[in-house]
Amino acid sequence: MTSRDPLTHQVANKPTRKLFDSFALSWRLPIIVWQTLFFLGPLIFMVAMSFFLVKNYRMQEAFEFVNWSKMFSRNYFWDSYFLTFTLATLSTAIASLLAFPASFALAFKVSPAVRRWALFLLIIPFFTSYLVRIFSWYVILAESGALNALLDTFGLGPYTMLNTKFGTLVGYMTLTLPLVVVLQTFALSNIDRNLVQAAHNLGCSPFRSIYAVIMPLAKTGLIVAALFCFILSFGDFVSPYYLGGSKPPTLPILIIDTTKSGQQWPRAAVVAVVMMVTLITIAFAALALAYRTRASR
Amino acid sequence: MNTPLVVFENVAKHFGDFVAVKELNLAINAGEFIAIMGPSGCGKTTTLRMLAGLDQPSRGSIYIGEQLMNDVRPHQRDTPLVWQSLALFPFLNARENVEFGLKMRNQDAQIRRSKAMEWLERLGVAEFAERNVDTLSGGQRQRVALARSLVTEPQLLLLDEPLSALDAHLVIRMQSVLTQLQRELGITFVYVTHSQSEAFAMADRVVVMSNGEIAQAGVPRDIYREPANRFVAEFVGRNNIISGTANTVDEKSIQVKAPMGTFDVPTKTNTPDTDKKFSAGDMVTFVIAADLVQVTRTKPKTENSVECSLISEEFVGSMVTLFLETADGTEFKVQLQERELSTLDHTTEGAFYLSWQSDSAHVLHG
Repeated sequence: MTSRDPLTHQVANKPTRKLFDSFALSWRLPIIVWQTLFFLGPLIFMVAMSFFLVKNYRMQEAFEFVNWSKMFSRNYFWDSYFLTFTLATLSTAIASLLAFPASFALAFKVSPAVRRWALFLLIIPFFTSYLVRIFSWYVILAESGALNALLDTFGLGPYTMLNTKFGTLVGYMTLTLPLVVVLQTFALSNIDRNLVQAAHNLGCSPFRSIYAVIMPLAKTGLIVAALFCFILSFGDFVSPYYLGGSKPPTLPILIIDTTKSGQQWPRAAVVAVVMMVTLITIAFAALALAYRTRASR
Repeated sequence: MNTPLVVFENVAKHFGDFVAVKELNLAINAGEFIAIMGPSGCGKTTTLRMLAGLDQPSRGSIYIGEQLMNDVRPHQRDTPLVWQSLALFPFLNARENVEFGLKMRNQDAQIRRSKAMEWLERLGVAEFAERNVDTLSGGQRQRVALARSLVTEPQLLLLDEPLSALDAHLVIRMQSVLTQLQRELGITFVYVTHSQSEAFAMADRVVVMSNGEIAQAGVPRDIYREPANRFVAEFVGRNNIISGTANTVDEKSIQVKAPMGTFDVPTKTNTPDTDKKFSAGDMVTFVIAADLVQVTRTKPKTENSVECSLISEEFVGSMVTLFLETADGTEFKVQLQERELSTLDHTTEGAFYLSWQSDSAHVLHG
């Protein structure tokens, strides 16, 4: 017999709720297990490892701050940090600026069919290995490469482009630009066209409407695109190594160098934790900015 | 006669194969409240968008204040539009939305602010000035949108079905806000709507559009009582439309023989320039408005009467519409006051008789 509530005449039905919960949990469980095993676990281990000691090329469990004080007192660490941060910031600024006109045209100036094809073509670079794409720049950027040959016909050059910061940034663009264009195009396509026309109607010139209306409306998407660019550039090892010449090293290269020289895994862990903290801070700041709505009384 | 503020001269607008506006000739006087009314797809919104410069005419010329506007870009005009969706900027608060037009005209921040507050005050939403527009109610958003359009003190205000998203009681309130504003400011309102009640309640002159052309333009009363053609008669009000052949035609009236009877109809029409002369044997269509028909249970002695049976009734508060049918299957609508119905013995079986004064009927052209 089920009991009935005398007032509402509804059948008391308590167990259903609990059943539903375990059902929902069974769907969530795989991702929770995966993230715990392969993300949270290694992350905790990495933080712990940054306090370990290395003696006779062997790592020993310990809780000493010596790795941190060693790394933080070295100029090369801070040089590397500011270089990486500056290059990633530059990369984000350049990619966002280079991508915007293309995204704007794709979102506002072409037919939906052209837009679909363009987005498809922008995804194609991701089919090939990033390493292959970076090596193909050798042919173009080398001292005797295609770009210098072209400049030579105008009586310019030759310029050294490989093993420079310029080379690193070209590599970063190879990695990030297609993605930034795709994300920006999505952000701009979702804008309500009536709002842009309303701005024109109120005396806003088409050029002015880009920063008066379009950029505020697409703010979230534009910031997320820039954030992805920063994260990818900041953590990239391939471009600064093969196109930037690895001197001075960026943080990812510093990690490799540190592990190679004397098995200093704990010091590499310090660099990794610093990178992690930087990216988390940047990501939170960017998302807070992206989703900030004005205070309302 | 003063010169008109807005003139459409043989204006047409095509979108590919689709003809939105076929051939538009219209003059709008300064200070006039004009409503452009018609079903969806009749070209009324395109007409308004062409005035704002958001669509360019494919053919013809549009003048505002004697200046040819065809190639003037939207942002170079002073033709603010109140959008159907309101199109308030979600990233600005109410006051900043109102300030937008002044900011684009590079006005000083101090002046912008005080003018914006002045208009928000005038429309009764000053207390919400610093609020996010998404947190305002429909009526409040409406007022902010109006303030945003009026803050630059334009000569011409364009309104695209601005009340269509509001509750019925708010529509009535906003109608009086709009008419009062228009009277106080003395500027020209061009108001696009599909609702005849909005158009008739507010406009000095109503333009009925159909398939990209003007079906009729005139004061609300003429549109309502003297429709020019079958389209207007069917679109506006509740009209009974009767077709027949002319028996005899004289100066004042035509005797029309229709399947359900013979009727006298005055020759006066509302299309003076295309005044068509009828002669005996011609096909004649005339209308008799549903509220000008008397209904009785006994056969009246007057002319212009038909015998019907009652099909159904529709009750809308104070008004009742009866749907009746003649023996040959023609449907008639009669509109009466609810209290008139109680004096009519309409529940018992039997014939109903409809009758009307000859001069209540109105001949249609086309």
